[in-house]
Amino acid sequence: MSLRVLNPNAEVLNKSAALHMNINAAKGLQDVLKTNLGPKGTIKMLVGGAGDIKLTKDGNTLLKEMQIQNPTAIMIARTAVAQDDISGDGTTSTVIFIGELMKQSERYIDEGMHPRVLVDGFEIAKKATLQFLEKFKTPVVMGDEPDKEILKMVARTTVRTKLYESLADKLTDIIVNAVLCIRKPEEAIDLFMVEIMHMRHKFDVDTRLVEGLVLDHGSRHPDMKRRAENCYILTCNVSLEYEKSEINAGFFYSNAEQREAMVAAERRSVDERVKKIIELKNKVCSGNDSNFVVINQKGIDPPSLDMLAREGIIALRRAKRRNMERLVLACGGEAVNSVDDLTPECLGWAGLVYEHVLGEEKYTFVENVKNPSSCTILIKGPNDHTIAQIKDAVRDGLRAVKNTIEDESVVLGAGAFEVAARQYLINEVKKTVQGVIQNLMSSNYVLFFNYHLHILMVMLINSKQRAQLGVEAFADALLVVLKTLAENSGLDTQDVIIALTGEHDRGNVVGLSQNTGEPIDPQMEGIFDNYSVKRQIINSGPVIASQLLLVDEVIRAGRNMRKPT
Amino acid sequence: MAPGFNIQPYGIQSMLKEGHKHLSGLDEAVLKNIDACKQLSTITRTSLGPNGMNKMVINHLDKLFVTNDAATIVNELEVQHPAAKVLVLAGKAQQEEIGDGANLTISFAGEILQGAEELIRMGLHPSEIISGYTKAINKTIEILDELVEKGSETMDVRDKEQVISRMRAAVASKQFGQEDTICSLVADACIQVCPKNPANFNVDNVRVAKLLGGGLHNSTVVRGMVLKSDTVGTIKRIEKAKVAVFAGGVDTSATETKGTVLIHTAEQLENYSKTEEAKVEELIKAVAESGAKVVVSGGSCRLFSNYKFLIYRLMVLKISSKFELRRFCRTTGAVAMLKLGQPNPDDLGYVDSVSVEEIGGVRVTIVKNEEGGNSVATVVLRGSTDSILDDLERAVDDGVNTYKAMCRDSRTVPGAAATEIELAKRVKEFSFKETGLDQYAIAKFAESFEMVPRTLSENAGLNAMEIISSLYAEHASGNTKVGIDLEEGVCKDVSTIGVWDLHVTKFFALKYAADAACTVLRVDQIIMAKPAGGPRREQPAAGMDDD
Repeated sequence: MSLRVLNPNAEVLNKSAALHMNINAAKGLQDVLKTNLGPKGTIKMLVGGAGDIKLTKDGNTLLKEMQIQNPTAIMIARTAVAQDDISGDGTTSTVIFIGELMKQSERYIDEGMHPRVLVDGFEIAKKATLQFLEKFKTPVVMGDEPDKEILKMVARTTVRTKLYESLADKLTDIIVNAVLCIRKPEEAIDLFMVEIMHMRHKFDVDTRLVEGLVLDHGSRHPDMKRRAENCYILTCNVSLEYEKSEINAGFFYSNAEQREAMVAAERRSVDERVKKIIELKNKVCSGNDSNFVVINQKGIDPPSLDMLAREGIIALRRAKRRNMERLVLACGGEAVNSVDDLTPECLGWAGLVYEHVLGEEKYTFVENVKNPSSCTILIKGPNDHTIAQIKDAVRDGLRAVKNTIEDESVVLGAGAFEVAARQYLINEVKKTVQGVIQNLMSSNYVLFFNYHLHILMVMLINSKQRAQLGVEAFADALLVVLKTLAENSGLDTQDVIIALTGEHDRGNVVGLSQNTGEPIDPQMEGIFDNYSVKRQIINSGPVIASQLLLVDEVIRAGRNMRKPT
Repeated sequence: MAPGFNIQPYGIQSMLKEGHKHLSGLDEAVLKNIDACKQLSTITRTSLGPNGMNKMVINHLDKLFVTNDAATIVNELEVQHPAAKVLVLAGKAQQEEIGDGANLTISFAGEILQGAEELIRMGLHPSEIISGYTKAINKTIEILDELVEKGSETMDVRDKEQVISRMRAAVASKQFGQEDTICSLVADACIQVCPKNPANFNVDNVRVAKLLGGGLHNSTVVRGMVLKSDTVGTIKRIEKAKVAVFAGGVDTSATETKGTVLIHTAEQLENYSKTEEAKVEELIKAVAESGAKVVVSGGSCRLFSNYKFLIYRLMVLKISSKFELRRFCRTTGAVAMLKLGQPNPDDLGYVDSVSVEEIGGVRVTIVKNEEGGNSVATVVLRGSTDSILDDLERAVDDGVNTYKAMCRDSRTVPGAAATEIELAKRVKEFSFKETGLDQYAIAKFAESFEMVPRTLSENAGLNAMEIISSLYAEHASGNTKVGIDLEEGVCKDVSTIGVWDLHVTKFFALKYAADAACTVLRVDQIIMAKPAGGPRREQPAAGMDDD
């Protein structure tokens, strides 16, 4: 008996028990995340170990914070996290799609079907759906001037599933403008060039886009200006503080004068550097009313700060490395690593630099810049959980817009794609299943298993059209997104499905209106999903479901024997 | 061993780590949340308004608070329930934004959540309630704008009368009966430090010094600062003097790298000390020659320096807090210097007088500067116990924050529940025009405004129903400014009793309350992690100060 060879503490689940555990776990996870899907989904409140609150609707955040322990659930959660890494959205859809695939399979398995047959069906259906997606997607021409409306619609569709409507609509504009701001033709979009800064202040609807940069620290000298207009910005990475030498050095002196001399000598090199900066300031600022701002990645010590303050220079120290990149993109100029060859060309320019103080926190705004290619989304909200919620939504929104620009296509949302794909699978693909398998046999995929080819052939002939059922299960599982959307809006699921499939059979591509429950044209309503998100769901969902279905034994290692428990 | 591995696991509970709690659905999550919030607001509610009761709160450090300031109460209560915490956060946000009205925020949020509970029991879905409440709050804000007292848009923030009229209600709700004394102190202090552009008013410029002993009537306002420390030297009083401020401390400069004095003989040692001393003397002489009479040090004052100061008749003050030092610089107009040396004439500040006085057994240094425009004023509070002083301080803080708020937006609305009743009436009318299911929510929202007059009169021992009905009657006949006169227990036009609230306070309080309530309603599942380990709060570790 197999148990004999195992550690006596190990647990084993065989055959149907293992399968059912997997199916149940998938269904359980689906149940948890189901209520979050779509704009009408509800919010979950996560309370951390220290009593901190997090409110979220985002599947990814939830899966990360929930600390799941069930092994099957962890596998599914990982797929969802991968989904988020690749496309930034669609985590909830992935989880419920996998759950639904398992649920549909359960029915057939209970009737005695072998999981392998279903898996074959999934594989066929997956390929077909992906092909269908290629046909179904709506291409968007990006060119030099992307169509702002389309981008807005995509962003809106994503953000509305994370936040309530009025706030989502406000964020949509911000997100689209931010991405367009950092977009450079012929280059990949680096979303890190959008700084996301938050302030605990006012209301969530006061969130805004700053064309420029917001730094979360202020000048460290009380006499520096709090507000300056027409500023030259020097972005540098030069240490303006005394740094101890690597070697262990010491001074010897025998009277106070000598010591004074030492003090002066020690500071000289730092002072020299500061003076170079001051020189440059005098060069560019004399005779006009412009100001000079130094933003340094390294430190500036109090004596240097004092020297700069006396010259009317605003100096900020210890800026984030990422902010140095952003600053150069936003203000122009270049980041300098040495003060030796400072020229006015190194300087950036900003119309307005000011400091905003909120209680203990200081923020420095660098605004009114010329032709920025970096910007800041300034999130405001009365408390931390609101801010965190908006932050997650903004991140997803940015990704959605980026995806659209890179995919150069979108997919009709509101469940329209799912219904269309399902109808396609049921009406067209299912009938041709046998043929498809034969095609498959000649493909590399099967050739890889050349050795088993003969066995496969026999199996296929036996199964004949049984794989059709796998396709059917897949097709039905696709509907889960629509079902859940309807359920979350308090609509009757069956009515909705019948209404929508009916419309699709008549050749109209329609989606579900969350408010009325009637079929609508997603194009008219401006509901678009990302192409890459959908593709990723269809790709990864069946893979993980197949893997789980083909598990026939679960063995868990026992505790380490050497440690007494 | 994780539960549910052998048995068929189903549902979320089996998937989480041990110790996790998971609440979901209407009964388990939404109603429980509402219940928790209701309980929280019941606690704060009795402290609302001038006749509100004080609460005695003992926090985890065994510190006693006697107060009716809602922000303090909820802060020290350490609310655990996540939903109630949302309310607390709303209250805190209000406190940070305006500095007053935290109680209104929490109580009102509790009240509308109670309304929501009734609606849920009636069969409404939380999403309909949320949409109704959102509509209602938007309407409320519209109406609130209409209710603004005409002529209050502009005010002279330097006119004591006008300031007091706006500040009274806020302070009265904290220290009823003493509001006139406190208001006049706060108004004096605020007007003194109000900069040319009132919008830049900085709360930090009004300081509070609490000194035990005496009574409120002994409290005064000092133009300048009150430092709770003595001077270092023997010079205790000086007038009309220039001030030099050294941030780095009065000491000889030292190198960053470790220095070693090379000494071979005893003679050298003596010589070294002499040169050192001569150096210091030179520096001090330079300071004295620049005309400074007062030297303020931000760091250490080495003892031997002090007698040198005495020789040059310099007064030495030590201010170790960096922020206090900055304030001192603002008061005197001095620029802090980093190293001891001859100060620039421009860097010197000026004081009218610096004197050490003994008030109530504590030696304090009073720094006065009568001419400073944008300088610092200090309210010296006197009282018999620490808790009274703390409570007075909170009242002053509220007053100062109100001043800041009115500097930015001076619009006022009638106080004493007149605004609330008017809002209740008009929002109710608005609800009749709505056709959807959310009209019930709007109506409930409107009714919730009654909480304010009801609580006010209940706290004052009046018959709430009677008051509310007569208020409604007055408002129906067009007297939109009729509120409750708590002293006489009748309804009166607020312009005769002079109770005005700031529009911004109400605006933020109501909006935060509605936002918090909607957030609580939106949640339908709570997943709680196992509380983190670590020492229990109830039993502070040994050696911990009880403050």
